[in-house]
Amino acid sequence: MAKDIEITSVVNSNNESVQLVTVEEWLENIDSLSSKGVGVVVNPTDDVELLKDSLDKIAIIVLDFNNFDDGRGYTHANLLSKRWKYLGEIIGVNAHIDQLQFMLRSGVTSYNLLDNYKNIDEIDYSNGFSVCYQAAANNSGLKEKF
Amino acid sequence: MKNKIIENATIIYHTCKNIKNMYEYNTDDTQFLVERVDQFEKQLKRYLDGGLDEAKFKSLRLRNGLYMELHAHMLRVAIPYGVMNSSQLRALANIADKYDRGFGHFTTRQNIQFNWIELAEIANLLRELSSVDLHAIQTSGKAIRNITADPLSGLTEGEIADARPYCELIRRWFNLHPEFSWLPGKFKIAVNGAKLDETALRIHDLGLRLLRNDKGELGFSVYVGGGLGAVAVIGSETASFVPVEDILSYLESVMRVYNLKGRRDNIKRLRIKFLVKELGVAEFSRLVYEDWKYTKNDPELKLNLSHLAQLEKDFALPVKPLEISRFEEPVDFNYSIWKKNNVRKHKLSGYSIVNVSLTKLGSSPGDVTSKQMRILADLAVQYSSSYLRTTKRQSIVFPHVRKDQVFDLWQSLEEYGLASPHQGTLAQIVACPGNDYCDLAKAASIPIATRVQQRFDDMDKVLDIGNLNINISGCENSCAHHHIADIGLLGMKKNNVEFYQVTVAGETLTETIIGKKLGRSISGDEIVDAIENIVNVYLENRSEEEQFKEVFKRIGLTPFKERVYG
Repeated sequence: MAKDIEITSVVNSNNESVQLVTVEEWLENIDSLSSKGVGVVVNPTDDVELLKDSLDKIAIIVLDFNNFDDGRGYTHANLLSKRWKYLGEIIGVNAHIDQLQFMLRSGVTSYNLLDNYKNIDEIDYSNGFSVCYQAAANNSGLKEKF
Repeated sequence: MKNKIIENATIIYHTCKNIKNMYEYNTDDTQFLVERVDQFEKQLKRYLDGGLDEAKFKSLRLRNGLYMELHAHMLRVAIPYGVMNSSQLRALANIADKYDRGFGHFTTRQNIQFNWIELAEIANLLRELSSVDLHAIQTSGKAIRNITADPLSGLTEGEIADARPYCELIRRWFNLHPEFSWLPGKFKIAVNGAKLDETALRIHDLGLRLLRNDKGELGFSVYVGGGLGAVAVIGSETASFVPVEDILSYLESVMRVYNLKGRRDNIKRLRIKFLVKELGVAEFSRLVYEDWKYTKNDPELKLNLSHLAQLEKDFALPVKPLEISRFEEPVDFNYSIWKKNNVRKHKLSGYSIVNVSLTKLGSSPGDVTSKQMRILADLAVQYSSSYLRTTKRQSIVFPHVRKDQVFDLWQSLEEYGLASPHQGTLAQIVACPGNDYCDLAKAASIPIATRVQQRFDDMDKVLDIGNLNINISGCENSCAHHHIADIGLLGMKKNNVEFYQVTVAGETLTETIIGKKLGRSISGDEIVDAIENIVNVYLENRSEEEQFKEVFKRIGLTPFKERVYG
């Protein structure tokens, strides 16, 4: 099971630290929190659909991938990026290197790996396949296959 | 010596490439397999170097078909929708010799398993497989598993459509799907396009039945949430007609609802059948439909009908109808018995479909030696345009045998001990490995099968009894599908004594029925008597040609119960 690692802030692609709140906190104080430019952490157990109507106010969305076997984050990423057209960064955190290919193809735009993967070539894992059978967020896939 | 065998296989493979009756992998497909092996090799190395923990490696290796048992490792190789050619079977024989102990085991889900694999050799083994378009991708783990189809797809009269082109498209779609590769539980899909359901699609997590609507358009009815195991459930219809071109988007919506809402907190309730049960089929179907609205018209998920037409050509029959002038078959009692049970009508004139049962007294059903694999591969080249199929009953089908060559084929099969005449009879028992080979099993399976076969060793009587299925599972995982057999046994242990719960009159061919429990479980000592009693009640009550399930429907459970427990 995933450890309860409380994530309170994250560094975005502009190297700025962004304060994070839970989905619950966000829903309770959308107006005041959006003016502060906070991001929202979505855990696998969260109902991501609750964010649908306030997505344009969320500075950044963080998906926690610490639980290796829990695939809900991939659906969350897909819904956010493809269906609801969320335009901000979707950061995958506490990620394991073997999850990268799925994360990036589902719509995660950047990631923080857990410490134990420091000496591994990330490119190898994120772009490990030159061919794939599905259209995906980070490539067109082999559309003609269908 | 071993290398030489591989070289031979390669040569034969290339010659077989010229004949078409299946989809042949293009360079992209092959590249995908190669890269998958490379990736797994790196993961394995990290595991062996201590850079990947046991639990994560387990999740990764299972998605590559690898089970690590106490004494040895098992690899499950997919034979997608049960279709293979001779060169592939030959390559499997070579793998059995080179990496196993000369055996392979055909499963009830159109896979083949090897039981004595060394970890250090796994990448080379997978590379050899990929050289003949075979792989072990997603044959295990909490992912979409190898897709199964009617083993007679494209061969029988009255078929609505050949399931194989759709199976191939679905196979591609679920390979390393970015969103649906880490599901709450395993996910099994079966597709049937024939009138009779040889796939048992309603005991699958998802079953697709090809059909035509009032306008004559082709589509699928979709059944979700079937499964055996400790809680046997028949899948419910969630959509009565999904046009063929929309099937991938519909499948995605089913997977999305399952991925988000499926139970992950209770190891006994991971499968989609529990979600469907908890939500109710109406609510589950509604959620799927709501999701589907967003994706139904997504061009990336629409099937391209011209590509589908190309695939249909790939799967076209490799033979043309034949007008065979009268031919004489020698009068041979054994041949006529075998023919009655093992040969079926082909839709093309001049051809027959031949079933080869792999069940042998005392050995695990589905077990084949590398020698037998090579013989079957050779015979397929000689008699069946190089093609073979595997079936849910763990037998091999020769799909296109000229009618005037069936006798010759039988003679060859007889010579190599492969002409068991009992396809579909009670001598062809489906059994899991049981506690002789499997850590999960609570009771024996194969020894019981052997004792039943010994009890019914009079072939005349077996043939008189006719079509009757006995399936034996050693535990609640129900690998032998005992719930859907005429007579099903489920092994259990009470105070260290092996007992069997008996179910009767399960079926899937024309409708899906879970077998009824006969009564209290029966000890291993008494179980063969009980089976004989059940068979006798059937024989005493049947009118001519009446099947077991028909007699059961007419007379009910009581006469069977009274005879067994009375």
